[in-house]
Amino acid sequence: MHSKRVRFITVFALLTCLLWLFGLGWTLKDYMLGTPSSAPLSSAEEDQVDETGALKIVALGDSLTRGTGDIEGKGYVGYVSDRLKEAGKEISLINLGIKGLTAPLLAEQMKEKEIGRQLGQADIILMTIGGNDLFLGGQTLSDVSEASITSLEDAYLLQLQTILDGVRAVNTEATVYLLGLYNPFVEFENGELLSGVVRGWNFKASELLAKDAKTVYVPTYDLFQQNVNDFLFTDHFHPNEKGYALMAERVAALIAGAGEGGQR
Amino acid sequence: MINLVQNEMTKLVGKRRFVVIAVIIVVLLSMFTYAQAKEAESIRERLGTVDWRTELQQQIVDMQNRLSSSGQWREQIQIQIKQSQYYLDNDVNPSEPGAPTFIRGFVQNSAELFLPLLVMIIAVDIVSSERSMGTIKLLLTRPVSRFKILLSKYIALILSVSVVIFLFGSLSYIVSAVMFGNQGWAAPVLTGFSSQGGELDISGVRLVSQWQYIIQQFGLAWFISVVVGTLSFMLSILMRSSAAGMGTMLACLISGAILSNMVSSWESAKYLFMVNLGLMDYVSGSAPPIEGMTLGFSLSVLAVWMLGSLLVSFTVFMRKDIY
Repeated sequence: MHSKRVRFITVFALLTCLLWLFGLGWTLKDYMLGTPSSAPLSSAEEDQVDETGALKIVALGDSLTRGTGDIEGKGYVGYVSDRLKEAGKEISLINLGIKGLTAPLLAEQMKEKEIGRQLGQADIILMTIGGNDLFLGGQTLSDVSEASITSLEDAYLLQLQTILDGVRAVNTEATVYLLGLYNPFVEFENGELLSGVVRGWNFKASELLAKDAKTVYVPTYDLFQQNVNDFLFTDHFHPNEKGYALMAERVAALIAGAGEGGQR
Repeated sequence: MINLVQNEMTKLVGKRRFVVIAVIIVVLLSMFTYAQAKEAESIRERLGTVDWRTELQQQIVDMQNRLSSSGQWREQIQIQIKQSQYYLDNDVNPSEPGAPTFIRGFVQNSAELFLPLLVMIIAVDIVSSERSMGTIKLLLTRPVSRFKILLSKYIALILSVSVVIFLFGSLSYIVSAVMFGNQGWAAPVLTGFSSQGGELDISGVRLVSQWQYIIQQFGLAWFISVVVGTLSFMLSILMRSSAAGMGTMLACLISGAILSNMVSSWESAKYLFMVNLGLMDYVSGSAPPIEGMTLGFSLSVLAVWMLGSLLVSFTVFMRKDIY
């Protein structure tokens, strides 16, 4: 009855049983008795990433960069990359946009080591920032006083300068495209007033960007000036896929144009 | 005694359960490896790079975006973000491509439900089938005490559980090595994360080699399987029908998986065995289902349940009238 096969399996089972017991014991020792059996953290060797010929795009910023409101979830960044791919370019894309990001938070995010490394490798940096700084999630709509706007504006411009300096500290070559603000509240009660504020805001931001030749300010205000509701998502704040497509068209044209100019 | 154990092993091998289990594992494995290969491909396509740092950074940002809209998962995601960030800051690739990484993930995900299910296939009718087939009378008429008979069955069960875990490990190695290659055994893994009150504690974090981590994982998986095996063993004695035992055990396991996701406010649930099956999570550093649970706590709860069910098993079996 006790064939050799069964005897073999039994002995084998016993061995595996011992092996797993050993594993369990090892875990207990490491995790519960607090005597880890390994060396402490040593920094691993840096393996050099082979640079491919692809055009590296890094997208930074708020929900517009993330693509909130776009059914396909691509946002203008995705459409820009699609268009460039259609044009036969090889694209490597990383989207670092975070919903609700404000300029101070972006400046904070850029201090991270890996973000810096990504920016350093970038050929093109796309950015949307400022929407949350100005509109404060719609709060500004009910309180459009000059004093409050000015203080928001000053704080924003200071942070924007920090962000641009941060980019240039790790990458002097890449072209930075900052997309301007549009007024999602055109058709609201205070819309007219706010439009003026947005124009002023955009003007100051573009003035600031003009100091650096490789920093391009891309206006979006005009895209959303008429029939704004056709291009906005149901939240009346973020663009929908049509709105994003319009933004992307503009940016893609600029990038393609720069490429033909012999920059790369 | 050795003869009795071998006798039980002969019965188990004769039932061809191991073959069934091996087939189940292989079928599932081929699906999972294929799915994973596809996923890696699609990520490469989307990001246009093979740089793991870019991929991980993108994952972190994606998680940060999910934070704002994910009420109860907030803490879990926050911990995951911090952990990924730690990997990134220390230049350790959390998913070095290769068979070992696949095995690591596979064990992690199977330990709570899939492995226990496989063990149940063996354990659930180990006694009840003897009764339904009537062979138990032959067994008990032998000049051996009932205690020894049950003990030999239990030992055979533990041995079989070990074999199942071994089958699981070796098969996943073979299949994934074909698919992803054999490299990465010595790759570093960060471990020792612990989370308290939604905060990730990195004071105990250290680097271990992947092979070491995997052996430890298998040790834990084995323990989970033994506990589930023991409980099924008890059910197999208490219940005449194997199907009823299987159903009960299955209900427990599944309710455990569901409960773990929603009991954070029901604190005494932490004494239920099925909520404690996520031993792996302590090692990988995700947040426990209930605040204050630790590896030691879960191990002790499981051990108590195991000893309790053994006690019940032996008392019932030795006193029961067999007819």
